[in-house]
Amino acid sequence: MGSFVCRRLFSLEQQRLWWLKRVPAGPLRDYYQVPFTKPATPSVSTDYLALDIETTGLVPQRDELLSIGFVPISGHGLRLGGARHYLVRPERDIPESSAVVHGILDDRAREGLPLADALPPLLKALAGRVLVAHSARIEHDFLDIACRRLYGYPFVAPLVDTLELEQRKIVRSGSPIAPGALRLDALRQQYGLPRYRAHDALSDAIGAGELLLAQIAYRTSNRPLRLDDLTRRY
Amino acid sequence: MDIEELEIRDFIGAQRPFDQLPAEALVATVEAITVRYVRRETEIPETEQGEPALSLVRNGAVELRAETGELLARLGEGDLLGYRASAHELAKNHHYVALEDTLLYRMPASVVDRLCDEHSQIAWFLAPAGAGRLRDAVRHHDEASDSPLNLTDTRLGDLLGREPIHLPPAASIRRAAEVMSAEKVSSMLVVEEDVLFGVLTDRDLRLRVIAAGLDYDSPLSDVMTMAPVTASVDTNAYDALLMMARHRIHHLPVVDGHHVAGVVTASDFIERHTTSSVYLAADIHRQDTVETLAEVAGRLPLLVQNLAAAGASAERTQRIVTGIADALAIRLLELAELKFGAPPVDYAWVVAGSQARGEFTIASDQDNALILDDAYDDARDGDYFEALARFVCDGLAACGQAHCPGEVMATNPEWREPLANWQARFAHWIDNPDPTALMHGCTFFDLRHVYGDAALSATLRSSLLERTRGNTIFLSHLTGNALTRQPPLGFFRNFVLSGGRDETGVLDLKLAGVVPIVELARVYALAGGIDEVNTRERLKAAGTTDELSESGARDLGDALTFLSDTRFRHQARQLESGIEPDSLVAPDSLSRFERGHLKDAFAIVRTMQRSLAQRFGR
Repeated sequence: MGSFVCRRLFSLEQQRLWWLKRVPAGPLRDYYQVPFTKPATPSVSTDYLALDIETTGLVPQRDELLSIGFVPISGHGLRLGGARHYLVRPERDIPESSAVVHGILDDRAREGLPLADALPPLLKALAGRVLVAHSARIEHDFLDIACRRLYGYPFVAPLVDTLELEQRKIVRSGSPIAPGALRLDALRQQYGLPRYRAHDALSDAIGAGELLLAQIAYRTSNRPLRLDDLTRRY
Repeated sequence: MDIEELEIRDFIGAQRPFDQLPAEALVATVEAITVRYVRRETEIPETEQGEPALSLVRNGAVELRAETGELLARLGEGDLLGYRASAHELAKNHHYVALEDTLLYRMPASVVDRLCDEHSQIAWFLAPAGAGRLRDAVRHHDEASDSPLNLTDTRLGDLLGREPIHLPPAASIRRAAEVMSAEKVSSMLVVEEDVLFGVLTDRDLRLRVIAAGLDYDSPLSDVMTMAPVTASVDTNAYDALLMMARHRIHHLPVVDGHHVAGVVTASDFIERHTTSSVYLAADIHRQDTVETLAEVAGRLPLLVQNLAAAGASAERTQRIVTGIADALAIRLLELAELKFGAPPVDYAWVVAGSQARGEFTIASDQDNALILDDAYDDARDGDYFEALARFVCDGLAACGQAHCPGEVMATNPEWREPLANWQARFAHWIDNPDPTALMHGCTFFDLRHVYGDAALSATLRSSLLERTRGNTIFLSHLTGNALTRQPPLGFFRNFVLSGGRDETGVLDLKLAGVVPIVELARVYALAGGIDEVNTRERLKAAGTTDELSESGARDLGDALTFLSDTRFRHQARQLESGIEPDSLVAPDSLSRFERGHLKDAFAIVRTMQRSLAQRFGR
């Protein structure tokens, strides 16, 4: 089943059940064991996991994961006790162009875990949670490729994309989008969130999580916010 | 590695009281934190995971408002709010509202309690009561004080060692010399039936017996110093030293009621003091002209700087500076009497305001007055006392005590009156407490005798207290007056936050903090007929009466100590930089520690003001 068709014709929960029957025992199957949060669930009762990854480039089929950072969100609060940060050891040398962006050099990357060890804790933390990321498509696609390579099956998850949420809001208001206005830092500043010096995966995961809380606080709606008001639409 | 490298950890670890935590405990604390975003103009949720929460403001701004909408506090980055943040602000119907978009780091009550249990430094800061926290701060500061400076805390009674050596007045000089040699003392008391007749010293034996060729069998009463200056066992050692310097005596008999308890000598103090303040006072009493007095007084700023450097508290320093101011007045009066002759009638030189309260600082102006005996005749004696007052007040000004801008000085004929007129005037102020009367009253209700006939001052004070005690109409006016100045709520960023009025960039430690406490203490004292004038003594005395609870007295005393010490350190810094000392501080020059404790001190004052208003308010 191609994932594009799958996204179109089946609900996420149906996809989860589909893969649950097929994926062999292991971290991915454990992940699929836990039901996805129902779309009509009030957002305040939804458990999220804000995630950020750093990679050697932007092409999931070619580039590799370098680090993973995440922090859970429950009851519209970030729980720092669940925050984790993993460095991942790439199989190839890190291209200089990407090292400039994330500051992870070969030496440090070599201290990281093999992807096969870094992915299971992430999948465990994600079970039953909604994935939140700024420009979540990248996180999703890298995880999807990683799961296919390691476990032979695709990765499916309910997604909330803080970038897309903002984009939707601007489009609705009919104003043009200024270049760079949707970058994480720019949006955080707009919502009065502090500027973090560091740009590692965990800081950016927390950054994206806080941005989601701000976006939720600024939703103007008379009825309680539901998960499907936020989830990504394809 | 997870949280260790996190910027959030660095931020929390830089804030009071979390900066006191060891590294592992800090990480554990951060792991217990929930980050919450509160949109502007929305209320901060009270609970976290079903428990009351303590929040640290990461950025943004929060206001605490009472049910009535009254602003109680405004908090910014680094401030704590909610559970155990401040006991004075916790009330059921109070609520926190975000003034700006705000990011909060929150901890549930159980985590806060556990932190407090495991780390006393945290419990110390997050104590249930702001007052207790302040007390600790005061105590810690005082521990830093230099022990040789504790003369002002030492009672004369504690300096007395052996039972006094004494003989009756009829004993022979020979017998006295034998006893003094045997006991190895340089002085003895002449006592009969527990009544002190005089003192005999080595010096008397040399000058009045040997040099004068007197018969050694003559009675002691022929050569002793009669009716010597004495001090009570409760006199503090510092005042006693000043007294000895003033009378140029080296032996001071100490009495306990009517009973003679012993003698202190200058050497008894030597181990206990190193400060030059006593020498300064002694020098003052040696000067014969205003010019040389002014020179000696010119050493005072340096002395104060040294006291500050030695860690002396504001209270001690104020007592010392007051002592010096008294010494200057006394010496100037002595010089005036030498210059203009003996006074035609008895008089008392009294000081008012901060000098009366023993709270004089080197930035204080002079406030003084003359109480004249009722035998005073204006036509006959007017010129004498005018000249005397002029000489003393100008002399004080030459010694660095600026003329009182409100003309509260003995040079002003209004404040140079016979006792009967003073009593009539006090009666008028108390019976017709209009604003002018209260303004003058508040200056002169704090009155202390410095020189001359002490009976005049004592009579005036006791007639004052008789009239004010339990006088509810007068007290309600006095209360109204005392409540006109309310301390600020605290700080918000680099501004002083005062309820209702605009924020200002400077904090006047005197007007915002010290004065309201002084005024409260005055109301308690006048209401309870308490004769003390010093604010601390007034509070202590009021704490044993119905006017004030003991804990209220202690809290206000601590608040006063902290405010005065903060002001004193500020003034010492100014002196060091050659700036004229004042009470104005910029909030950004205060440490977060000082800010927090100042806020606690203000909260105590506001609380006591409210309860006084309920008691006497109109």
